Amino acid sequence: MPSSLLSAELLRRLEQFQLLAARRAKSSAKGERRSRARGQSVEFADYRTYVHGDDFRYLDWSLYGRLERLFLKLYEEERELPVRIFLDVSESMSFGTPRKFDFARQVAAALGYVALCGFDRVSVIAFPAASGDPNLDSTVLARELAARAALRSVRGRKSAMQFFENLAALRAGGAANLNDALRRGALEARQAGLAVVISDFLDPAGYEPGLNALIGRGFQIDVIQVLSPEELAPTNFGDLRLVDSETGATQEVTFGRHRMRAYQQTVQNFVQRLREHCRTRGINFFNVSSDVSLEQLLLKQLRKAQVWG
Amino acid sequence: MNFLAPAAFAFAAAIPVVVVFYLLKRKRVVRLVSSTLLWQQFLAETQASSPFQKLRKNWLLILQIILLLLAVLALARPYFAARTLPAQLRVVILDTSASMQATDETPSRFEKARAEALKWVDGLANNDQMVVLVAGANTEVKQSATSEKAALRRALQACACSDGPTRLVAALRMAESLVRDQRGAEIHLFSDGAVPDLSEFDNKALPLIFHRVGKDSNNVGITALDVRANPEDAHQRAIYASVANFSSNNVQTELELHLDGRLVETRPLNIPAGETSPQVFLASQANDAVFTLRLTVKDDLAADNEASIVSLLPKPVKTLLVTKGNRLLEKALRAASNVQLAVASDMTDPATDFDFVVLDGISPSVWPKGNVLAIHVVNTNWTPEFTQIDGPPIVDWRAAHPLLRYAGFDNVQIAESFGAKCPSWAVSLVDSPQAPLILAGDLGRQRIIWIGFDVLESNWPLRVSFPIFVANAVEWLNPANAKGGQLLVKAGEAFRMGLGRAEKEAQVTLPDGQVKKLPIDSTANELVFGETYKQGIYHLRMGTNETVFCVDLLDAVESNIKPRDELRLGDYTRIAATTRQRTNMELWRSIAGAGLLVLLFEWWYYHRRTA
Repeated sequence: MPSSLLSAELLRRLEQFQLLAARRAKSSAKGERRSRARGQSVEFADYRTYVHGDDFRYLDWSLYGRLERLFLKLYEEERELPVRIFLDVSESMSFGTPRKFDFARQVAAALGYVALCGFDRVSVIAFPAASGDPNLDSTVLARELAARAALRSVRGRKSAMQFFENLAALRAGGAANLNDALRRGALEARQAGLAVVISDFLDPAGYEPGLNALIGRGFQIDVIQVLSPEELAPTNFGDLRLVDSETGATQEVTFGRHRMRAYQQTVQNFVQRLREHCRTRGINFFNVSSDVSLEQLLLKQLRKAQVWG
Repeated sequence: MNFLAPAAFAFAAAIPVVVVFYLLKRKRVVRLVSSTLLWQQFLAETQASSPFQKLRKNWLLILQIILLLLAVLALARPYFAARTLPAQLRVVILDTSASMQATDETPSRFEKARAEALKWVDGLANNDQMVVLVAGANTEVKQSATSEKAALRRALQACACSDGPTRLVAALRMAESLVRDQRGAEIHLFSDGAVPDLSEFDNKALPLIFHRVGKDSNNVGITALDVRANPEDAHQRAIYASVANFSSNNVQTELELHLDGRLVETRPLNIPAGETSPQVFLASQANDAVFTLRLTVKDDLAADNEASIVSLLPKPVKTLLVTKGNRLLEKALRAASNVQLAVASDMTDPATDFDFVVLDGISPSVWPKGNVLAIHVVNTNWTPEFTQIDGPPIVDWRAAHPLLRYAGFDNVQIAESFGAKCPSWAVSLVDSPQAPLILAGDLGRQRIIWIGFDVLESNWPLRVSFPIFVANAVEWLNPANAKGGQLLVKAGEAFRMGLGRAEKEAQVTLPDGQVKKLPIDSTANELVFGETYKQGIYHLRMGTNETVFCVDLLDAVESNIKPRDELRLGDYTRIAATTRQRTNMELWRSIAGAGLLVLLFEWWYYHRRTA
């Protein structure tokens, strides 16, 4: 099943994984995850006293032979794991070589594909909402809106191709509001599950309230921060007036190679604050540059952190 | 440390201007970035909030203020005054002789001496005065006493080196008169010490400071040059030259002989260190021509590697013999080479058509104007007192004189003779105890040989020395020989030429092609041209006549360019070369240099910051 986002070889290797969820699935839909609900499966869970109207097929006859009382055998119900992928498609993600947006989409596609292979429901929440660019063809916008709608709920391995196509139809643009998107996603979710946030986290408003809202709703969270090589080690030197692509704010700075170390320290500080925030809240945190190999992240880092296994 | 221009500290007011420049906004390049969030945090972490702190941390500003302070300090011209005693008058004598052209110093000794003299001008304190003298072939006052440094610098810059010898005596004499009775005055001589005898200044306590220039003595030069008829073949010319090697190594070179610019002969030379090699060339010439000798060696002094001489074709010597009859004398005269003899018994005109006149015992009614060989005649214009001497014995004769070359007076007896007191214009050639018997000399422009006795009243005509003496006399009295001598002048000496007809103007073309015009006074009977500073061939044009004369160095003292460690003033006084440097060592050059370094560092720092 080849895709423009992921190679066939990578897809084949991803099929071997399954998302690991520390919590029991709370979804109401049937799936392959253990849940607290009782239902039909092969996993024995408990006994209860027979009441009138129970299905005789679940009576434990050997126990009746010993105790001469009717007990019903209960089995664990297997439910699906809702996986919500919060994908930052703001203007700032369109920078970098290779583009951070392309990298983030590939990560989202890989996560989604692993979830779909595990019969889990995948929701991709691309934020901010699609903006009406006057230069843009209305059919492209309509296609994107349709793709965004379709990505809200995807299930089954069959839908993988459609899932990839919809992801490929997304465009980066507009100003991100990470907190708002996460808070809204937390509220909209009927059941908590696995939440994966893929963003550069370069939001002036910060990220703490959004992540806290997801935790409060009971999500298990994985955070993947994608930065471009230019953001890690800038190549513009001299007397500069920098314009923010999202807010249009300007910042004057005189920058030379001898200040590179100080700048990189600033970036490290920023990443470290986010990492610390995640660590104290039990969130898996990954920081990647958009020029690292996708396999490195997917097959080694995520596996090592037991995001999947 | 003092300051020559403390007013320059007013320029420190420019420091706020530099600060103002830092208040101006820079022109920045606009760049679109994903987010300015990281940059804001970067600036917040690296910049402090207080503006004072900001200014203090700006290295560029600090560098510029250092640069400005250095510039102000340089403009204030600080100096250390403690190194020498202040002198009220300094007389600078700059040697401009040929040896100062030597290139053992870079670019030349003269330029180094001038630079050294300029340093002394820089170090002149405000009230001190300086005089600039130039000592070449002539002494020239380039700048009279002044404390104005610009004028002194201009005077030194206007000095030029000549190809002539050093006439230091005149310069020192002038400097001595300038410093006489001046307390603390000093004479600074900038020279290589290749100067002639200075014994005149022995024991004069001259306040002379000798600044020596020069390092090596690598020079080979032509020190003598003459041209004559070949004694063995009258149709050929013999060119006599001396080539001296003053360096400390053997020198192999080639000596070229050119005739009117055409190469005639090349001769390889190998001259040991310190030796002189005499050379004789034989060449034929059809007309009057210029012989040039040229050394191909590359040495430190080029001025003495070439010398030229005008060679005039020998012409018959027109001689008038006024005699009552003297066959021996007549025969001796005819035997001399190239003589066209006329014999007369008396003279009624000054005999201007003849090259010289021989008066044999006859006092003419009209005395000749040209050169004279006077035998046994009395002329009180030449010497006022004559005495009669009987049988004078000959006790001495001047064998070194050209007239007595190969002519000795052994066994010569004289019956009687006039005796004359030796006048100032003449030298005595043959002496008796009572008085000189033969005199020779130049009286004005007239050459005279006076023989006091009648040769027929002696046995001299029977001796071999008599015809030799007559032949020498013909040579000595021949005005063409004297003229030939006039056409070779040493650099720096005046060229003189008698004027035959009244001319209004003469033109002299110098070796470098420059043309000098000389107005001639109608009453003048001699032309004098003094601008013979450069060696080479000069062309003098007067009306339709053109005369060629040569200017050469031909001075062994100048060619010996070995720098002397001391100057000898006579037997007792020696002036050692000084090691003293200029006074008032100014620091502004060093400070300006430091400023330049700071400027370069700032440039580099700025580009490192923004590149």
